[in-house]
Amino acid sequence: MRVLPLVAPFLVVGLLGAAESTDTVRFNRDIRPIMSDTCFHCHGFDPKSRKGSLRLDIRDDALKAGKSGAIAIVPGKPDESEVIKRLFTKDEDDVMPNKESHKTLTAAQKDLFRRWVAQGAVYEPHWAYKALEAPVVPALPTGGKNPIDAFIGAKLAEKKIRPSAEASKERLLRRASLDLTGLPPTPAETAAFLADGSADAYEKQVDRLLASPRFGERMAVWWLDVARFADTVGYHGDQNQRIFPYRDYVINAFNTNKPFDVFTREQLAGDLLPNPTEEQLVASGYNRLNMMTREGGAQVKEYLAKYGAERVRSVSNAWLGSTFGCAECHDHKFDPIKSADFYTLQAFFADVKQWGVYADYNYTPEPELKGVGNDHPFYPEVRTKNAYRTKKDAEFRAELASLYAKTLAEQKDQTDFSAWQKDIAAFLSEHPTGLLSPAGTFFLKAAPPVAPAKMAAKAPAKNTDATSVAKKPAAKKPAAPAPVAFAAGATIKMPKGVAKGEDFAITLNTGATPIASVRIDIPKGSIPADSAANITARFGIVDAKGKERPVAFHLADATHREPRYNSTFELTDINAGWSLKMPDADVHAVWLLDTPVTTKADEKFVIHFESNAALTLKASVSPLSHDDPLKVTAPETLSSHKDPRLTAATVALFLNSRGTDRATLEKTRTLTTTLRRQYDGYAWSMVTQATKPLTVRVLPRGNFLDETGPVVLPTTPSFLPGLRTSTEQKRLTRLDLADWINSKDNPITARTVMNRLWQIFHGTGLSAGLDDLGSQGELPSHPELLEWLSLEFRDKGWDVKKMIRLMVTSRTYRQSSSLRPDLKETDPNNRLLASQNPRRLDAEFVRDNALFVAGLLNIADVGGPSVKPYQPEGYYEPMQFPNRTYVASKDSDQWRRGLYMHWQRMYLHPMLINFDAPSRDECTALRSYSNTPQQALTLLNDPTFVEAARAMAARLLVLPAGDRLGQGFRLAMGRDIKPAERPSLEKLIAAQTAYYKTNPAEAAKLIKVGFSQSLAADPAELAAWTQACRVLLNSHEAITRY
Amino acid sequence: MRPYDPVAHALSINRRSFLTKSAYGLGSAAFAMLAAKSGFSDLHAAQFSKGVLQKPDLPVKAKRVIFLCMAGGPPHLELFDNKPVLKSLHGQAFPESFTKGKQIAQLQNTVLKARGGSFEFKKWGKSGMELTDIFPHIGGVADDLCVVRSLKTEQINHDTAHAFFNTGSIIKGRPSMGSWLLYGLGSETENLPGYIVLTSAGRTGQQPISSRQWSSGVLPSKYQGIQFQSKGEAVHYIGNPEGVCQSTQRQVIDEIRRLNGQLAEETVDPEIATRVAQYEMAFKMQSSVPELLDFKSESAKTLENYGIKEVGDGSFASNCLMARRLAERGVRMIQLYHRAWDLHGGLDNGMKMGAEDVDKATGALIRDLKERGMLDDTLILWGGEFGRTPMGQGTGRDHHIAGYSVFLAGGGIKAGTTYGATDELGYNAVENVVDVHDLHATMLALMGIDHHRLNVKYQGLDVRLTGVAGKVVKGIMA
Repeated sequence: MRVLPLVAPFLVVGLLGAAESTDTVRFNRDIRPIMSDTCFHCHGFDPKSRKGSLRLDIRDDALKAGKSGAIAIVPGKPDESEVIKRLFTKDEDDVMPNKESHKTLTAAQKDLFRRWVAQGAVYEPHWAYKALEAPVVPALPTGGKNPIDAFIGAKLAEKKIRPSAEASKERLLRRASLDLTGLPPTPAETAAFLADGSADAYEKQVDRLLASPRFGERMAVWWLDVARFADTVGYHGDQNQRIFPYRDYVINAFNTNKPFDVFTREQLAGDLLPNPTEEQLVASGYNRLNMMTREGGAQVKEYLAKYGAERVRSVSNAWLGSTFGCAECHDHKFDPIKSADFYTLQAFFADVKQWGVYADYNYTPEPELKGVGNDHPFYPEVRTKNAYRTKKDAEFRAELASLYAKTLAEQKDQTDFSAWQKDIAAFLSEHPTGLLSPAGTFFLKAAPPVAPAKMAAKAPAKNTDATSVAKKPAAKKPAAPAPVAFAAGATIKMPKGVAKGEDFAITLNTGATPIASVRIDIPKGSIPADSAANITARFGIVDAKGKERPVAFHLADATHREPRYNSTFELTDINAGWSLKMPDADVHAVWLLDTPVTTKADEKFVIHFESNAALTLKASVSPLSHDDPLKVTAPETLSSHKDPRLTAATVALFLNSRGTDRATLEKTRTLTTTLRRQYDGYAWSMVTQATKPLTVRVLPRGNFLDETGPVVLPTTPSFLPGLRTSTEQKRLTRLDLADWINSKDNPITARTVMNRLWQIFHGTGLSAGLDDLGSQGELPSHPELLEWLSLEFRDKGWDVKKMIRLMVTSRTYRQSSSLRPDLKETDPNNRLLASQNPRRLDAEFVRDNALFVAGLLNIADVGGPSVKPYQPEGYYEPMQFPNRTYVASKDSDQWRRGLYMHWQRMYLHPMLINFDAPSRDECTALRSYSNTPQQALTLLNDPTFVEAARAMAARLLVLPAGDRLGQGFRLAMGRDIKPAERPSLEKLIAAQTAYYKTNPAEAAKLIKVGFSQSLAADPAELAAWTQACRVLLNSHEAITRY
Repeated sequence: MRPYDPVAHALSINRRSFLTKSAYGLGSAAFAMLAAKSGFSDLHAAQFSKGVLQKPDLPVKAKRVIFLCMAGGPPHLELFDNKPVLKSLHGQAFPESFTKGKQIAQLQNTVLKARGGSFEFKKWGKSGMELTDIFPHIGGVADDLCVVRSLKTEQINHDTAHAFFNTGSIIKGRPSMGSWLLYGLGSETENLPGYIVLTSAGRTGQQPISSRQWSSGVLPSKYQGIQFQSKGEAVHYIGNPEGVCQSTQRQVIDEIRRLNGQLAEETVDPEIATRVAQYEMAFKMQSSVPELLDFKSESAKTLENYGIKEVGDGSFASNCLMARRLAERGVRMIQLYHRAWDLHGGLDNGMKMGAEDVDKATGALIRDLKERGMLDDTLILWGGEFGRTPMGQGTGRDHHIAGYSVFLAGGGIKAGTTYGATDELGYNAVENVVDVHDLHATMLALMGIDHHRLNVKYQGLDVRLTGVAGKVVKGIMA
């Protein structure tokens, strides 16, 4: 083993420091953990569970005489101290900890206690709540530059432990790539690094990785756990919520290296900043990520209390590394966190606008939520320009244009085009607006005389999707009312609103004009401004005998429409109906017919127009059509029609209006639908909106029905430095809270964040309990290092990338991760970091790694809405309100990174659960790293991983036969294959090839898994290599960052 | 016991290295030899199936639990708790003295009226236990039951009430009852998950149920409940990919094991050995699930007894038979959710459907276990997350938490008895009141666990299923 030349100087440091450390018993290091575990429950902060009025957490109290006259602790005199007597007594009734506690102290612990008292019983404030103090940085090792190595090295030297050698270059690059981007290096990147002999070759790689947009995606996985980001609300119906722009914000914050204090301020109080930007408002969505309910019968006050309490738990865990949870009901037993601290922290968020129950039930009225159902979003929200959507919008537009250009290029015979163009020119010269508003008739048919129940069942004969067609009422109709005639270009006044079962029909004498689209104009003042109408339209052609055949439309839109939702996704058209809130302006809507129609001489075009409000309207038709209903007769369209050339623009108009090239239209219409779902580059996102603060009381035992507790105002936690309190005149705000968190008064946020970052890169936090730096948490393994990192972070600009760079360029980080059997006695948990710690990849990166290796991962996109990978059928069945059908994403959305997976709190994707991803019901600072049969089953059989293996196999098969396995290892493990690994794999491939050659049907099935396809000259060979790649992707090395 | 501590667990990964390394020697040769042996996994399997309790705290009365969760909240006043006074008040104003200041769900801000029980009660079995007339099969096993008529819960909405009933807390991340049992006692099978959940839905009164209810929370995911699906594959990812048969799958797993063995030669990482063992266990599960799902060995008579129309149709009846098969195979916790009981309206009809869908299968399961001698060490719990109000809500009843009924049967239960009582209107539990923590404490006690001592360290606290509360209800124990 090669030994780094940094041992000698550390020995010196170690020896210098040794004089004090061997004998002196330290309160924080030695005594507090014992007291916290065994004494404080009855003799600590919480007065309710205190026994014998004795508290040991405060020195002054511990030194006072108790009821019996005995003094718990007499400094310097252990034999006179009651505590020592009780620890050592053989009397079962007197011994401490007492029998009921089921706790005992070891002889060594008792001895420590005695020595501590003998040495004067010196207390120290809890380390995590003390102000930050700059430590002395130990001497740097020879040639060393990184202070981290000085701290780690000093401790190792003290124990006379040599650090491990540096990891191999291949492993080092794979480690850094996975840690910083969540993706492995490509073989080319590894080769480049191996070839780079410069002294700072590694640092250059680190800088490359830190600059990659993948860095933000990787770090977001950490923060989204902390922020409890999810796509659904969590309680009861677990409906969707609109919040993905917040995830984009987090990714972007890491990529642009937003200072952490700004990150904090924007999330907690972005809405309170002066003239907040859209980005800052989106960030404030953090406060809205608590679980919410829409359950009938839920009590508003109860749920507001639940939301408020959760927010305290999440904020205190995220920024203060402390567990406030217990204080909801009582003073914390082991920490100085008082019940009042819980509620004064909650009071900061009392202004966050939110409803206890997100629906307007008659027993719990929420008048502002009138009409809100299970498909509606969770207000308030902001409409925001979104980079991903904007990019996709442009991409799909370009794709549409290129589709038309391609069609143009293929257009050899222009006869049809020329004829059509001549017809259109003739039409336009007569109708320069592009619209024909012919004469016709209208009439209102009464409801057919059927039993009410039956009628109700038939009533919703609305267009429910793009291709639905008109349905004729089946029941016998009463005598038709006399139609009312109207002149060409006239407006029609509906006699009344159309009731259920009634039919308001407009017939038009359209003559020989082909009809490609239908337009309804509703002039200003048709109904009073702000009044509402619910409208549906369907079409048909009536022949001379009065027989009607339906005419389908494929897309409709209106200049003004109220949003309609399907599981919070806003519908992009009015195909399923048009909710109109009348503006103080003219309005129109256009329906694009599926196929243009022309009426025969004795036929009439008919519009069945259902509107619950009596409108004034004008009906027109046009031989023109377009991708966009609202552009059929727009000025720029009309001028395009004058262009006699066959251009991409004119070909588009031709295809849409003529409607004959169905193959092309199918593609353009699908693309149009996708394009419209980019919402012109905008997205909605939940935000914080400040409102009049709710009254916050201390709730005795957390009971929301108990209003006897005192009303509290926002106050920073009483046990932390820099206390800030509200006054009668000035109520502190969330912004004040953020400012205090970011202030130099506050020591704990920097400690919390540095400890967590350390865990990401070294496997264990310096204090192993990432979510509790309180007295039940662990004293850091290297307190001075954590202190130094925290100061460096807080006082030098909260620079996240700088701190990460510092960590990953340290020699400590770069060591081999092979654990050290020689240290099993001295350092069984590798807390001294004489080596790196191996770590299984987080759930998202297990996925990303496999798809990346396979060449399937979509890395062109960053951000955007959540996607739905393959998921076992029926998994969402026990969900209701609304019922959920999971439809796996098509196209490149299927292979997006794990962090974009749809996060259904109630039914998290099984792959994510199996690899320990949290459901994010609440703040999670530490995931567990389990190793289970479910993980094996997932990697073996989940279609995502089978598809990845097949795609990887296809990548390998294009290479010369001798290069394939080698490249497989470079892809999956980031290293060359070892000779010993080869023979057995080659044997497997040979056997599998033989098997699939004799079982071609099996081969065909295996290589078909997934939506993607691989070209296979020889299906048996592809199937056999798929098996080999399954082996590689299932190997422990592939899913572990060494 | 040594309670699970996530922090210590994270750290112990390294410590485990030395243990396992010493178990199979540090040399690669020894590893390879072991890896080559088919019994390799057995070396490690023990560590997965063992619980944290080295030996039981208390006498073990039951080895496994079958929890028939009647999701939605069945009405105690129709089923278990006969209230003639309430019947006499039917349609009249409900006395405010009962309801003032109490939590109310959908009846908030409405006029409260008494609703008498819809069905007759009769005396069943030798014990003469008074139960509903309309559930003859459950009535038929009355002498095996202990009906608790004085249960109280704290949460009045489905989602949180389930959370409270399963985990003893509404704070997210608390392990469910089944996870606690697996954690404390370990599993008795290596071929199947130790905690299995099945769901079914009735024809009315459905409410959603969250997979959170069988989450292991802060315990490692190996303690989570594994949901058997009624559609598609029974267990997620249990089936081989299309075009891969069991023997080719075996070859793949063998090759994975060889590669992992080679990795272990040069890298000291205990997780490698664990990984190898997990693949063996996964393969065993893959092999044993088809046999489990194959009901061919069940006689036509058995199917008829349970009222199974079609095997594996996802019905409660089919799930009950599956529960017995799982119990036979050593599964520690079997939880059946039947979503059918949220009868805010149409209660009478809902009860008739319940009689058809639930009564027969429940009775059959208890009898079947008894005939096979398994009822003695199987603890059955039948009940909902809450009961339903003595006040009417149209043609139904609202959610009710102040007093309701569940029943237990089997291992260690005082059979043929009732315990506790509600007041004359069936509103408040007033005699021998049992809360959910008490029920948990009692169930743990029957399984040989002192509820005070089954802890997990989390965020610096000792978390328990029963929180700081819970007392063992001796009165329902034999």
